[in-house]
Amino acid sequence: MSSVGALKNRLGALEFQEYALGLVVIALFVAGSILRPETFPTWDNVRNMLTQASIIGVLAVGMTFVIATSGIDLSVGSMVAAAGVFGGILVDPSGSTLLFVLGAVGFAVLLGTINATAITFGRVVPFIATLAMFSIARGLALLLNDKLPVGLLDLNGGSFGEPAPFSLLWFGTGKVLGIPVSVWIFLGIVIGGWILLNRTRFGRYVVAVGGNREAARIAGVPVRKVIFSVYVLSGLMAGIATVLLCARLGSASPVSGNLYELDAIGAVVIGGTSLAGGRATMVGTFLGVLTFALIFSLMTQLDLSTEIQQVTKGAIVLGAVLLQRPEARY
Amino acid sequence: MSLKRLIAVVGTMALISIGVAACGGGDDDTTAETAADTSQEAGGSGGGGSSGPVSITASVPPTDHGWLGAISKNAQAQADKYDDVDFKLLEAADADSQAQQIQQVISEKPDVLVVLPQDGESLTPVAQQAEAAGIPVVNIDRLFTQPDAATATILGDNYQIGILAADYIAEELNCKGNVVEIQGLAGISVTQERTEGFTDELKKACPDGGIEVIAQQPGDFDPAKGLTVMENILQSEDQIDAVYTHDDDMAQGVVQAIRNAGRDDEMFLTGVGGSSDAMEQIEEGGLYRATFLYNPNMAATAVTMARLLALGEGFPELVPPEVPRQIIVPAAVVTQDNVGEYKKYAFN
Repeated sequence: MSSVGALKNRLGALEFQEYALGLVVIALFVAGSILRPETFPTWDNVRNMLTQASIIGVLAVGMTFVIATSGIDLSVGSMVAAAGVFGGILVDPSGSTLLFVLGAVGFAVLLGTINATAITFGRVVPFIATLAMFSIARGLALLLNDKLPVGLLDLNGGSFGEPAPFSLLWFGTGKVLGIPVSVWIFLGIVIGGWILLNRTRFGRYVVAVGGNREAARIAGVPVRKVIFSVYVLSGLMAGIATVLLCARLGSASPVSGNLYELDAIGAVVIGGTSLAGGRATMVGTFLGVLTFALIFSLMTQLDLSTEIQQVTKGAIVLGAVLLQRPEARY
Repeated sequence: MSLKRLIAVVGTMALISIGVAACGGGDDDTTAETAADTSQEAGGSGGGGSSGPVSITASVPPTDHGWLGAISKNAQAQADKYDDVDFKLLEAADADSQAQQIQQVISEKPDVLVVLPQDGESLTPVAQQAEAAGIPVVNIDRLFTQPDAATATILGDNYQIGILAADYIAEELNCKGNVVEIQGLAGISVTQERTEGFTDELKKACPDGGIEVIAQQPGDFDPAKGLTVMENILQSEDQIDAVYTHDDDMAQGVVQAIRNAGRDDEMFLTGVGGSSDAMEQIEEGGLYRATFLYNPNMAATAVTMARLLALGEGFPELVPPEVPRQIIVPAAVVTQDNVGEYKKYAFN
């Protein structure tokens, strides 16, 4: 088989994968519409699911780049907690939304930069470096405000109801053209991520580094810079996710973000991005995030008990992956 | 190569320290110590009887949650009141490390051990070891499963919390309406008892029915989980009259979901615990109608009991010279009418 043929095969497989997960998303939506015809297939509920998906969704976009380089970032959930509390103490008792956003995003980027430094210059494997950060960031989140959550309701720019534009709560609950701001941000980041991955040199470098690091190096790809960037990018996404979470909750809690990394990694991987690197799909990640959001929404609306929820969720995830494995050869 | 690596390590450390420093490091002492610290401090206090200061070691789960934070603060504050108490507070991340920590403590031979176990069942054996080694154990809140695992016990009444909540909601709704229950962490006795008490009492309070529990979902004592779970329930239910939540911290997320949906006039909500956030909102009136006090002062009383056990004395007004074997702290209903008198017990 010529290399062009192999590439074509590969692309075909990738398309099928995205296509198959799309079917899962549709199947879940249809199931919800049959089981709860009055409340599930409504615009209001779609909006709600997209809002809930936005936080994990933003993390998953960053995670797609990390995983595409055959790396992993286990620290995003802890970074969300630490960045939130850090931003919170900056604006407590008085401060502006802008200060909170800059503080939270800046702190998450700083933590991401530490990951990146340890991995590229310290040559620590990503699993260990980010596992260390998982612990450090969680500890910082608890340390910064003596284990207490920070209230942020004063940043809502008005009373309850419709928050003032660009106030913190506006990012969580405000709407523009009938669509929540957090959903705009989520969709914007997915589209931006798609362009960055598929239409820029950086995106090609990311996939090249994940596919074959040595070959990439010989071909002149600045491997270290690329790897450094993806962990900083993951930190940046954690910072944005922090803003969305704190905006929705009206507080920054040191115990928030627990196990978000697993949901983000799960969404990326069921979307079809290879944990071994070298193959990445932003559309797949988006569908993966939607799959998780649909499952969660459907199961709470059906009022299933936790144990049933856990079994069902696991079964759906396994089924979705089995359905779309194009090149399983053992 | 090795120089480069050195630079990278130093650089990383520098970044971390900048991070720590930037966070305004002024957050004072952490009273709790980790398990690792105990070994270094071993032998600091000899196991003496009633002569000289008494040594008390307390072991609690991580205090990253409002109520547990109040537990450790109250215990420490009570110990500070006594000149003759040498007090040490230890935190453990999970049941397994708490067991190891307690084994370590046994070798240090404190006069009394105070334990709020992660999980009563799995820490019973190690508490029995402490008792067998001659160290009396005071058990807080989550009950050990064997009678010889503790000399004295003080606990709240989770089943009663469910009862109080059911009575309150039944009365407010006149036995007519739809109720949502946002539970704690699935699979632990606290959650189970708060649910059972509620379900059982609802049947008694409204013998002819009328109140329907339309959704029962765990929120894991986590505000973010409470928020998303409540959002989904709000989507699927178009008439909700009351929400019974298992925890004040988690309830803040539920409140946010209801407010975001603009449905705060449709329903009211109750919490459990007695946090200052909850009490403030109860005082203001509106959505947050009541909380059921689960008094974290039980930790202070536990320290007092531990001291008396070490001194071989009893409560002067409570069956002296013995210390009671078990104290059950009743829950209390806190509403707008009486929040004034309970505010002093609030924690944040």
